[in-house]
Amino acid sequence: MHPFAYTVSEPIKIDIWSDIACPWCYIGKRHLESGLASLGEQAPEVEITYHSFELAPDTPVDFEGSEVDFLARHKGLPEERVRQMLDHVTGVAATAGLDYDFDALQHTKTLKAHELLHFAKEQGLQLELTERLLRAYFTEGRHVGRVDELVELGAEVGLDAQAAREALDSGRFAAAVQADIAQAQAYGINGVPFFVIDGKYGISGAQPAEVFAQAITQVAGENAA
Amino acid sequence: MSDTVEREPDAAPFAMIAGDPQAMVCEGDVCFVPGAIAE
Repeated sequence: MHPFAYTVSEPIKIDIWSDIACPWCYIGKRHLESGLASLGEQAPEVEITYHSFELAPDTPVDFEGSEVDFLARHKGLPEERVRQMLDHVTGVAATAGLDYDFDALQHTKTLKAHELLHFAKEQGLQLELTERLLRAYFTEGRHVGRVDELVELGAEVGLDAQAAREALDSGRFAAAVQADIAQAQAYGINGVPFFVIDGKYGISGAQPAEVFAQAITQVAGENAA
Repeated sequence: MSDTVEREPDAAPFAMIAGDPQAMVCEGDVCFVPGAIAE
């Protein structure tokens, strides 16, 4: 029997700052999940909460063009360099079991997506919606900046469509999104993904699965001591 | 933890785990290995 199996009463909290438009956030999510899975029956109970981080607030909701167009023309990065970096991240994503399609991706502002994630958190469906939005954005070429599409995606994971639309139209969760962003700034978090394990350890970037597994095991041990 | 480092983000109540220095992060519109060239 694992020494932590019956001694940890509280789940380990994992707070994750992330953006839907962040390719390494989706990869990091998979690595975290793999790290937890690698612990098998010894895995302690965890409670995962996603926090909003808007990578590019100046991004328009509707951008006519591909991701290459956005980064090369809108941001002025060399097109060949953009293609190289997208090819690289696509390859790494594939090793994590993710099928990125940057040709289909619709670059957009993610503020409303974050508001919906807060509504989903209130409804107990934040993890489901996080996965759904990331898949919609990176593999399905869905537009996650428009309210109609967000409501549709939310309904797919069990959110009430009418309530989701009201939440987005009213801006009821806009303050919660900004509070998350402000908390990240207060912590000195400049990039994502960023993981905080039980309030004790910070992990920056799409770290390998074993880094997450080691950190979670470490915290479980400390909590059991 | 053996790979915990002293450096912490400003005002953060947690210690940073260094992990893999090649792990990618995204800031703004670009993603990169911290300390290396932007990707």
